[in-house]
Amino acid sequence: MGSQRTWRVSALVGATALVAACGSSSPSSSSSAPTQSGNITAGVIAPFTGPAAQFGKLLSAPCFAATDLINKAGGILGKTISCSAIDDTGDPADAVPNVTRAIATTTNLDMALGLESNTAATTVPLVNDAKIPIITTNGLVAFTKNTYPYYWRLTPSDDANGAAFAVWAVQKGYKNVAVVFQNGIGSEGNLPGLTSAMPKLGGSLGLQLTIPADAASYSSEVARVINAHPDALIWSADPQTTATFMSEYKQLNNGVIPPMVTATDSLTPDFFDALKKVVGVTYVTQDVYLVGSSFSQTTAAFNTYKTALQDDSRTSAIADVLSAVGPPASEYDGINILALAMVMAKSTVGSYYNQFVTKVISPKPGAVVVSNFADGLAALKAGKQIQYVGVLGPVVFNQYHNSAGQFAANVFNPDGSASRVGSISGTQVLGLL
Amino acid sequence: MQLIIEAIGFGIATGAVIALGAVGFSVQFGISNILNITYGALMTLSAYIGLILINRGVNAWAALALSAVAVGVVSVIYHRILLAPLVRRGTRAIAMIIVTVSAGTILQYVIVAIAGPSSQSYGEQSGQTFHFADLTLSFGQVAIIVLTAVLMFALHLLLTRTTLGKAMRATSSNRTLARSCGIATSRISDIAWFISGCLCGAAGVALAITTVSFDFSLGALFLIPMIAAAVLGGIGQPYGAMLGGLIIGVSSEVAAAVSNPNYKDVVAFVILIIVLLVRPRGLFGAAWSSRRLMEG
Repeated sequence: MGSQRTWRVSALVGATALVAACGSSSPSSSSSAPTQSGNITAGVIAPFTGPAAQFGKLLSAPCFAATDLINKAGGILGKTISCSAIDDTGDPADAVPNVTRAIATTTNLDMALGLESNTAATTVPLVNDAKIPIITTNGLVAFTKNTYPYYWRLTPSDDANGAAFAVWAVQKGYKNVAVVFQNGIGSEGNLPGLTSAMPKLGGSLGLQLTIPADAASYSSEVARVINAHPDALIWSADPQTTATFMSEYKQLNNGVIPPMVTATDSLTPDFFDALKKVVGVTYVTQDVYLVGSSFSQTTAAFNTYKTALQDDSRTSAIADVLSAVGPPASEYDGINILALAMVMAKSTVGSYYNQFVTKVISPKPGAVVVSNFADGLAALKAGKQIQYVGVLGPVVFNQYHNSAGQFAANVFNPDGSASRVGSISGTQVLGLL
Repeated sequence: MQLIIEAIGFGIATGAVIALGAVGFSVQFGISNILNITYGALMTLSAYIGLILINRGVNAWAALALSAVAVGVVSVIYHRILLAPLVRRGTRAIAMIIVTVSAGTILQYVIVAIAGPSSQSYGEQSGQTFHFADLTLSFGQVAIIVLTAVLMFALHLLLTRTTLGKAMRATSSNRTLARSCGIATSRISDIAWFISGCLCGAAGVALAITTVSFDFSLGALFLIPMIAAAVLGGIGQPYGAMLGGLIIGVSSEVAAAVSNPNYKDVVAFVILIIVLLVRPRGLFGAAWSSRRLMEG
């Protein structure tokens, strides 16, 4: 009996301590919106070490840009917001303990960003269970019919990207393509869209090859591709693997390498530098097409985004590259949407403000269209309804919390920045799946 | 069929690099009975020394020679300062392995701290190719095959035709007996670590030339195939390591040519396990040193 009483008291003390440790969440005395003390943390869940470490930089930059602007506008409900790097290493085996630890130990982890394709299948359930709203850049087809309530995706799934590769290849006259994907890089999701779209466009897949990363040699694989005589390569691999493979291709094919169509994920300084060093800048700037979700680069929202990237010393060096890439822009828009949802909900607690996400982006009669956090905050303070239309343009979430966008093809400039060379209709792409 | 012939050629090129490293590793183990896992990080070190030299205008093959010598010296110092004292104190074999793993990890992180995590390259390869019947090999591949053949032949001459080589084999076979026969085993050990370090350094630069693009994980990635080659041939047996390297190189390239390339390493390791099941001491077993020693 005595021991039972002791256990109950201990449990009560423990539970109280646990609530306090979890950011002091408690119902507000003035409304039903729960509140919490302390500032807000946006967790960027991405690889910061390992072969895919470049993703960490790429996905942190929009977080820095968005939080700079939010804090400059006065913060969210009087709180500042900061970005915290959560290293998933790009490997699910590391991601699970690292993300679990971060959820348990990070104070006021109120939104999660990143969660890219390599690890999303394992990290999304963890973050969702913690009731933390997620803006993900993953392209996994498995989430096309997502059922996690805290999951939001503003970029197209990988199968749609695969179909966009096919559209661009055929548009450039490359009817016979070889598909070479690195194992475990998250590109397998492109294949269903690619295989579905290519025949419909009158093209064919001459060879499909999955290669291991960082091998000593790819000569045999290169010989197989050369024997298929492709017009172009549909490609996905990390910078080092790409450099080794392409260098061997050039040597074994008398200096000739077919054009490459790859994802905008490769629009990184590392990819550009690694390839340029081994096959020369001419090939990299003239024959490498980077296809991915796209957005207008002339809108007010884009200008605000790009200026914020340029103004922050942590992101200024890659501002030009980032400005052409969809997934980082989706992170930027996503933070603004979640931040405005917090303001609208008068709560920074994920389990509560998550239901306001769709209200921030949905068109409503009389709503003020805003393209940044500061304007949205001012409109909400003035008691108006808002519709956030950001860098990616209008966002329309379907019942699975996914929003499709438009696509574009980009090329590298000699300085490593990127230029858009063509657009691909999202409607056309979806019609090919 | 042409693909298989090509793959055998590519496999010889890949196997040559693996053999270069595996022979050094095997010599080191044979002379000191230490499974030196730092070997991988020393290969990486050599690749980065080569990078510094090439960026300063040194020819790639001269850079390979200089890096090999530098790593040879580092290996001797490493053995003298860290490993030999631990051996003298009776440190157990498993603890020695952990020490070498730790030292390798530290060295790898020092390299990252200095050179950064980004991938590096010695630059565009020569576009020159060589054609032998249905086989096309790049200049780099042919050069590395020739280099490995020359170094292996030189090592063979050293081990079989010189007093130093006989002393090395004697030390490898029975250190106590060699010492009682008047062989300065400590000096022989230094020389063996220098030679194996040079082979390690040469393998590091050769690997960087082969892969074209590399980073701080270069040596760690290829340490396992090299150890596998050494074990396949019979650990401590230089000729076995040469053959082991070639078997692993050829089998993995042929596998990549005729099946899913993801399984290329798996095929090599399946062969390794099968060979060890049939010949637990590897292809060359323990026969080499004792038989050759007797002949010498």
